[in-house]
Amino acid sequence: MSYGSVFRDETKLDINYTPPELQHRNIQFKLLNEYFRHAIMTPGKMTQRVIITGKIGTGKTVLTQHFGRSITREAQQRHINLHYIHVNCRQNKGSFFLILQKIVAHFHPGFPKRGYSAEELLQTLMQILDDQNTYLIITLDELESLIQNEGSEPMYKLSRIEETRLKESRRLSLICILRELSWLSKLDASTRSTLQNNIIQLDSYTKTQLQDILNDRIKSAFKQGTVPFETVILAAELGEEEDGNARYAIELLWRAGKYTDAEGGKEVAPEHVRRAAGSVYSTMRKDEISTLDYHKKLFLLGIARRFQQTRSAHITTGEAEESYKIVCEEFDKKARGHTQLWKYMKELTTLGVIKAEPSPSNSVGKTTLIGLPRIAAVDLEKELNNMLKSTGEDTSDDN
Amino acid sequence: MIIEEVFSSRGRVRILRILSEIGELNISELARRAGLNYATAKVHLQILKDAGLITHKSFGRIRIFRFNEDNRKAIMIRKLMEVWEQENSGDSKEV
Ligand SMILES: Nc1ncnc2c1ncn2[C@@H]1O[C@H](COP(=O)(O)OP(=O)(O)OP(=O)(O)O)[C@@H](O)[C@H]1O
Ligand SMILES: [Mg+2]
Repeated sequence: MSYGSVFRDETKLDINYTPPELQHRNIQFKLLNEYFRHAIMTPGKMTQRVIITGKIGTGKTVLTQHFGRSITREAQQRHINLHYIHVNCRQNKGSFFLILQKIVAHFHPGFPKRGYSAEELLQTLMQILDDQNTYLIITLDELESLIQNEGSEPMYKLSRIEETRLKESRRLSLICILRELSWLSKLDASTRSTLQNNIIQLDSYTKTQLQDILNDRIKSAFKQGTVPFETVILAAELGEEEDGNARYAIELLWRAGKYTDAEGGKEVAPEHVRRAAGSVYSTMRKDEISTLDYHKKLFLLGIARRFQQTRSAHITTGEAEESYKIVCEEFDKKARGHTQLWKYMKELTTLGVIKAEPSPSNSVGKTTLIGLPRIAAVDLEKELNNMLKSTGEDTSDDN
Repeated sequence: MIIEEVFSSRGRVRILRILSEIGELNISELARRAGLNYATAKVHLQILKDAGLITHKSFGRIRIFRFNEDNRKAIMIRKLMEVWEQENSGDSKEV
């Protein structure tokens, strides 16, 4: 780090950084290990399915990654061939094919990129596991995205694959991560029943828990004595208000540190945190938005522009659609149809970028209102403009 | 198989080099990287396989070829190629 910065190592605040220690998730960590005890004690005798659920930023990803590291380490010591693969469904566009491809590539990086179906990939995966006498735990992170994109079929296939191989060892276990359990209702009854026996719920962090998480992170990320107590408390408080979102709290601190550096200050003050909170357009959302398909970005851009034309807290879906059409014209693209936009809206709502709610019942007709709860429309537009400029049209678009 | 059989073809040496570097690939990708057509690549692969220098694995319709790490000749060839590379880059520096 350069001289005169409050940071010791900024990368420790990065969204992709996995801290060496978990705070306040001991019980859940033990529970997860308990569920997979047999994978170590009697490998091949049974498979396991576990669901992990909790709101945004409650440590679902980091918990499973820790678990993956620890169980593979333990397996290694016992000379058990156990692999852990963590796949983010959203980053793989909710495509079963891409998800499986990623898993197969873990074993065979030279596996061709096309020329076969998801089905064949799944068979291939099982063959690899048999050939190498390997056991595998797959974590399907942000599973919503896969269910949304392909319905119940992939989960059905994944949960049945072991049953169709009666004689052989059980090799494939699953950890599913969902923000909302309600997604399970989109699966067929039999798949649902195989999945929902073991559910680990991660409650939203409280202010004091967030303080501990932040303090631990500060030790490695900031220089000693640059982040006073009040600053940590404020960031923790704001994180608690955001549904106990640890990512948000960490990001606030990072931004606050940036402001401090920009001013040449020696200490990250609560005021810096406040300013960060005002400007935060969470990096998490940025990441989520950047992986959206081209037309979804255009749709969102339309929404962002419409919000800048109004003082109202909501816009109607009709207005959003109209605005999207104008954007399409500007980008010289054919606008997608109404049903498609309806899907986009649902997906954006799932991501938490927009909020969709039915209009008050006394108004005429039934329409849905769109809100933009946490992002300033100006910032959103700026962000989207940058992304659209740099990426161009993504041809592997959705249907 | 006699050694001339393996080294008498640019295509085969090329494939060996690629597999030695990357580890494993399917035919189409190998052919593409080696600048060969599919059928020719297939013939070369068969010869290299017969010589024990590479192995293959089938997954349904997909076949993956890989450098045979368990073959002494293959290991020596890889060594040779590495030394060759190093010496060559040394040469060019001297120029
Ligand atoms: N218990 C914890 N101890 C230390 N760091 C944590 C803990 N929980 C979360 N974090 C950190 O907070 C951030 C958010 O956590 P994580 O990504 O695991 O949340 P998530 O539940 O997966 O969120 P999302 O629903 O958005 O995927 C990460 O930077 C993570 O390292
Ligand atoms: Mg996550």
